Amino acid sequence: MLRLGNPNRRIHIGLIVMTFVLSIFAGRLVQLQGLDSKVYVAEAAQRRVQEEKIPARRGSVTDVNGHELALTIEAREIFLDPAVVVPGERDKVATTLAAELGVPEDQVAAKLADPAKHYVPLATVTPAVARKVLAHEFKGVGSKHKYLRDYPGGDLAGSLIGFVGDDGYGLSGMELLHNKLLAGRDGEQIMETGRDGERIPMTRTTRQTPVAGRDVRLTIDRDIQWAAQQSITEQVRATGARTGSVIVMDVQTGQVVAAANAPELDLKNWKKTPSEGWVNRAVADVFEPGSTNKVITAAAALESGAVRPETVFTVKDEIRCADRVLRDSHPHPTERLTFSGVVATSSNVGTILAAQKVGDRRLHDMLRRFGFGSKPGAGFYGEEAGLLPSWQNWSGSQRCTIAYGQGVSVTALQTASVYQTIANGGIRVAPSIVAGATDANGAFVPAPPGKRTRVVGERTAREVTTMLEAAVSEDGTGTLAAIDGYRVAGKTGTAMRYDAACQGYCGYTATFVGFAPADKPRLVVLAVIQDPREGHYGGEIAAPVFRKVMTFALKSKKVPPTGTTPPAVRIRAGE
Amino acid sequence: MTRVLASRGGPPARRPVGVPAPVLKADGLLVVAVAGLALIGTLLIWSSTRTWTADGTSMLKKHLLNLGIGTALAVAAATVDHRALRAYTPLVYVAAVAGLILVVTPVGSEVNGAHSWIMLGGGFALQPSEFAKLALVLILAMLLAQPAEGDDRPRGLDVVVALVAAAILMGLVMLQPDFGTTMVLGVITAGTLILSGIRKRWIVALTVAVAAGGAAVWFLDVLEPYQVARFTAFVNPATDPRGVGYNSTQSLNAVGSGELFGKGLFGGGQTMGRFVPEQHTDFVFTVAGEEFGFLGSVTVVVLLGVVLLRGLRIARRCEDRFGTLAAGAIVCWLGFQTLINVGMTIGVMPITGLPLPFVSYGGTATFANMIAIGVLQAIHMREQWR
Repeated sequence: MLRLGNPNRRIHIGLIVMTFVLSIFAGRLVQLQGLDSKVYVAEAAQRRVQEEKIPARRGSVTDVNGHELALTIEAREIFLDPAVVVPGERDKVATTLAAELGVPEDQVAAKLADPAKHYVPLATVTPAVARKVLAHEFKGVGSKHKYLRDYPGGDLAGSLIGFVGDDGYGLSGMELLHNKLLAGRDGEQIMETGRDGERIPMTRTTRQTPVAGRDVRLTIDRDIQWAAQQSITEQVRATGARTGSVIVMDVQTGQVVAAANAPELDLKNWKKTPSEGWVNRAVADVFEPGSTNKVITAAAALESGAVRPETVFTVKDEIRCADRVLRDSHPHPTERLTFSGVVATSSNVGTILAAQKVGDRRLHDMLRRFGFGSKPGAGFYGEEAGLLPSWQNWSGSQRCTIAYGQGVSVTALQTASVYQTIANGGIRVAPSIVAGATDANGAFVPAPPGKRTRVVGERTAREVTTMLEAAVSEDGTGTLAAIDGYRVAGKTGTAMRYDAACQGYCGYTATFVGFAPADKPRLVVLAVIQDPREGHYGGEIAAPVFRKVMTFALKSKKVPPTGTTPPAVRIRAGE
Repeated sequence: MTRVLASRGGPPARRPVGVPAPVLKADGLLVVAVAGLALIGTLLIWSSTRTWTADGTSMLKKHLLNLGIGTALAVAAATVDHRALRAYTPLVYVAAVAGLILVVTPVGSEVNGAHSWIMLGGGFALQPSEFAKLALVLILAMLLAQPAEGDDRPRGLDVVVALVAAAILMGLVMLQPDFGTTMVLGVITAGTLILSGIRKRWIVALTVAVAAGGAAVWFLDVLEPYQVARFTAFVNPATDPRGVGYNSTQSLNAVGSGELFGKGLFGGGQTMGRFVPEQHTDFVFTVAGEEFGFLGSVTVVVLLGVVLLRGLRIARRCEDRFGTLAAGAIVCWLGFQTLINVGMTIGVMPITGLPLPFVSYGGTATFANMIAIGVLQAIHMREQWR
């Protein structure tokens, strides 16, 4: 009866096939849901779990009085979801948003036109404007929290403060150096979302709240910084100079009260500024200091005991040194100058004679102790160390020129630090720019004070100070630095400027650096002007900047005149 | 028919056409299995659609209404004597053809790229291709149940007519286009032909013809690109996990992450996140896999197995050829859809849009499946009664 063509037989075959297929299914399910299930669990979870960053609010950078130089403001990003905007409402949405946001209407309309998109950022606005926009309750118009970095001062201490990139990470200056402190810790929200990105109801959400960044307080005084920047900018423009810098430093603490440059980086437009404009020249530009360096030679000579301030030198207007003939800045008949007179009139020849009594090695050691050849470690971004060759490698003429600040190179900050040391009775306080930062509770924690090192004896410092006061007197080169009612000690510098572009010395570096009040020093001010076109003597073009800035700083710091008179200094033998 | 009946000996006592058979004689196991599948399906549909609307039950309510109508239709079909059904078969066939023609005219509506629907308003719609399956089952059983003289195989002419009848339905469905349903119709046709006892050489010839046709379809670019892509993705889902392979990958993730006991009703993250498309219809098995785990999904497979086994049992026990062929055809239909649907969900078959019988959401499919069960019961009860 049973033949192949028989329906019953074929039903049997069907039965076997069916059982076989269903067994395969069961086996596959064992594999999927049993043996390999962990793989699928993990892969499914990975697709579902969304980690969303909750940005931490970045801390502020403030001046010494807490004025914000860099701060984070809360903003709202208005965005469109063209797919959700009601098509009939498009024109109305475009008109309204254009009016509220100040964006051209055709631009809004263009962004609304593509319904395939779900997220089109439109504008970043203040929370108040965002509230007004959202009050219209248009479908497909939303707002998102956003933090914006703002620099209210614009170019005020721009290169010092630095800036953050679009991701909020510091790229330069304090913003980069203290990024970790300022940034805080971003929070995170982990939740399960569906294919459309919406949270899946009744699933677990974990949230780690962000930790706000700390505030970093600088030693900068906003007002003095502004005055310094104004003065140097004006003078750089007036003299047709390439650049200029001013440093104001507190004598007792080594704290930098102002560090200004011209031109200065405008933080509101840092993207449009070429990257060489991001550099903080006051700490990064390396130049040969010239005569301001004579204080180190003088200090070394006095410390060695070989020279006294009254020691008389017979000074011609030129001197042969190895293969070169070195000259004073102006020709003059042979004079008999006291050592004080040498410094006050800034005689190169006289300084070389004094240096010869000191010796290369001792001069080199003194330069090192004043901070030459090493980075100041003040806490600026981009500090340079300058160039101080080892004394064994000094060439014949270099042995002479280093005495008056050629053949060695430094930064403005290093030079200011030298005068701080003299002003502070011979004790160098390592310069610093960061006053402190807030702790987790928002309380201010001051930075440790700068390291104090005695460089020269108190007597030497006093004697050099007296010489520097003479330099600002009628007899000296720095008369334009004098300030009515205050005793000022300072030194001019007019150095030949090395310029890589002309592969040699082209142009000048004009400097004036000093401190006041001379008998009770509070502030050091340094002004340096690079490659001026109109005039080039430090006493001529840098001294007036010093005077302006120092005058303002003394007033601002409410430093009273001491009312004392400077001691009489003999400049020439027999006077 | 007389021959088959005669082979079992003496003439049976016959009830007049149209008199209801005792409901108690129904195949209880079949009823239980279908009820079980419908219950599980209802929970799965509820779970996968409850985030769609505020109260979360609108799809559930529609599905329950569909099940209610379907049950009524099943009871109606079961109480009709299948010989009477045989008399109505040409009418059913003509109605199905008319429906399929209507659907490709502007009366029909396009959903997901296929012109398969006739909208009735009020959120209800009919899918004539589901009824085409039923019509094909009946017309094939009718045509092939008349054996040739001196043989228990169908006559050659009947086979040709049956093939033409099937081809008309398949052609119309292909116009929509609905490749999946066309395949179901093809399998029903092939299965019923084999079951009808046609000669082996016919089987071989038809197999060769189908293979040649398949090759022609493949190489002559008749298939839509998405269909080709689905097969490619089936062979290797990793080629494009975000594109065509996406459904397959997400489907496996959902089923696999259910593990042994599942995450519980409403607890499936993949389901609630709507990662798997068509979760309430074609991919409803993924919800079973994720929320009810291995135990749940195996239960679904076992219940479907029970339905198919009971169907085969009814086919075998039936003493008349029409009943045997109709039951066998229904098993082919439901079996093939189970094979493809579960198979694609667990990654052993390419992705083809076919619903899972008795479980997936879908009005017309539910009606057609339930009527099919009614027809099976009708065949069963005639035998019992006899």
